[in-house]
Amino acid sequence: MKVTPDNVRDFILQGLPCEHIQVEGDGRHFDAVIVSKDFEGKGMLQQHKLVYQVLGDKMEKIHALSMKTMTPAQWANIQ
Amino acid sequence: MDEKEIALDIIRKTVTENPIVLYMKGTPQFPQCGFSGRAAQVLKAAGVNKYVAVNVLEDPVSWNYLKFYADFPTFPQLYINGELIGGSDIMLAMFEQGELQPLIEKATATA
Repeated sequence: MKVTPDNVRDFILQGLPCEHIQVEGDGRHFDAVIVSKDFEGKGMLQQHKLVYQVLGDKMEKIHALSMKTMTPAQWANIQ
Repeated sequence: MDEKEIALDIIRKTVTENPIVLYMKGTPQFPQCGFSGRAAQVLKAAGVNKYVAVNVLEDPVSWNYLKFYADFPTFPQLYINGELIGGSDIMLAMFEQGELQPLIEKATATA
């Protein structure tokens, strides 16, 4: 079964409260912009690890995920 | 020691005995994945001309066990002085923000 960008978005939302999330992709490569309060006080590596943790075994189905992770404050800055 | 412990020990040795290690799919000259290619490009742009590149497609130890070493499930992975820096997104972001170059300079200066 092919994973859709909506699947990936839902997988993330199931484990991580997000202020904003946007996922695009072709079923093998996905690009995500993820904005979450849970990223506050964390470096980029810890933020990416948090998303991978939330995805868990589902990463096996997701070939590649490119991420931009931001706190709500960082997100507000670029709006 | 079981297979996993042996594998993690090999990875620990590799990343601590070499200042800069890139685990990637393919080689810097012939990357087999866009993200790995981008990671190698970032290192080149950051002026790194000497580093250890491990082709995970030909190395069962890292292919099967690297994800457990630093709790990071995808390739590529960059290590500087034994510490996971991140994948290609993080490498590119740190490079653009000028944060990667000082880490590299420090690592290669002490080598």
